[in-house]
Amino acid sequence: MDAQLKRGVLDVCVLAAIKNEDSYGYKIIKDLKPILELSESTLYTILKRLEDSHMLITRTAEYEGRLRKYYRITSTGRQRIEDFKNEWKEIMEIYSFIERGEQV
Amino acid sequence: MKKKEFLDELRSKLVGLPQADIDERISFYEEMINDRMDEGKSEEEAVNDIGTVDEVIKQIAKETPLVSLVRHKMKPKRRLRGWEVVLIVLGFPLWFPLLITGFVLIFVGFILMWTGAIVSYAVETSLIAACFMGLLSFFLGYFDGGGITANLPYLGISMMCFGGAIMFGFACYGITKGMAKATRGMFIGIKSWFIRKGDRK
Repeated sequence: MDAQLKRGVLDVCVLAAIKNEDSYGYKIIKDLKPILELSESTLYTILKRLEDSHMLITRTAEYEGRLRKYYRITSTGRQRIEDFKNEWKEIMEIYSFIERGEQV
Repeated sequence: MKKKEFLDELRSKLVGLPQADIDERISFYEEMINDRMDEGKSEEEAVNDIGTVDEVIKQIAKETPLVSLVRHKMKPKRRLRGWEVVLIVLGFPLWFPLLITGFVLIFVGFILMWTGAIVSYAVETSLIAACFMGLLSFFLGYFDGGGITANLPYLGISMMCFGGAIMFGFACYGITKGMAKATRGMFIGIKSWFIRKGDRK
């Protein structure tokens, strides 16, 4: 997949993983596992990028005597998911146009 | 490998990044290992899941832009003293040519790497040209009244070059692909070197 495209898709995947409830690193990896294999380093980079662009905020909470970082989606992040879905509607229309073109 | 060993090794090799970034990454990996252990994995298994330190570093190098690595490296750790500034300014005629030489050397390295590819394209082009020339000579000779037999060698040469061009075409493709891969590898290598520079103390 084109690197630029892949980056955009991964960002939205991670946002989707924290959309319904706050989540933490390992849980995000596990939740995404059925659809894509994400390495720790890649996830770190994505989370950092999303935080820098204010799509999520972090908080640190205690869990069983140690600290764990939780990620919460912001309204900007939710907007990003909606934008992504709309963009893909357009892309799917183009896709079906191409498919029709090939059948002729 | 134990968790502490892994994290210590990672920290010792991550010197090329800003300190806050290193701390954040270390605690991120620590949390990842802890969460796996909470799930019932042994310490070794949990560390294994993350991969080797070198793999992690390579991955980080891949994802960090070269510019930000260099920028961090070039940024002085403290304010420069007056005499240091004077030295840098006075030393300009010395360090500037050295810097340029360094860049030129890297650039020449790239050119040399790609020369192989360029040469193979030149050979490919000559083969195709020879194929057409042979064909041309054959027809010209034939219509000039030389007969088929006398001009047959030209046709033969043309056919040979045609075959050669096809085979060499595959070689060209392979070489170009290899070169592109090597160039990418070199970039990751340069970046890894920046990240883990302190490793060679």
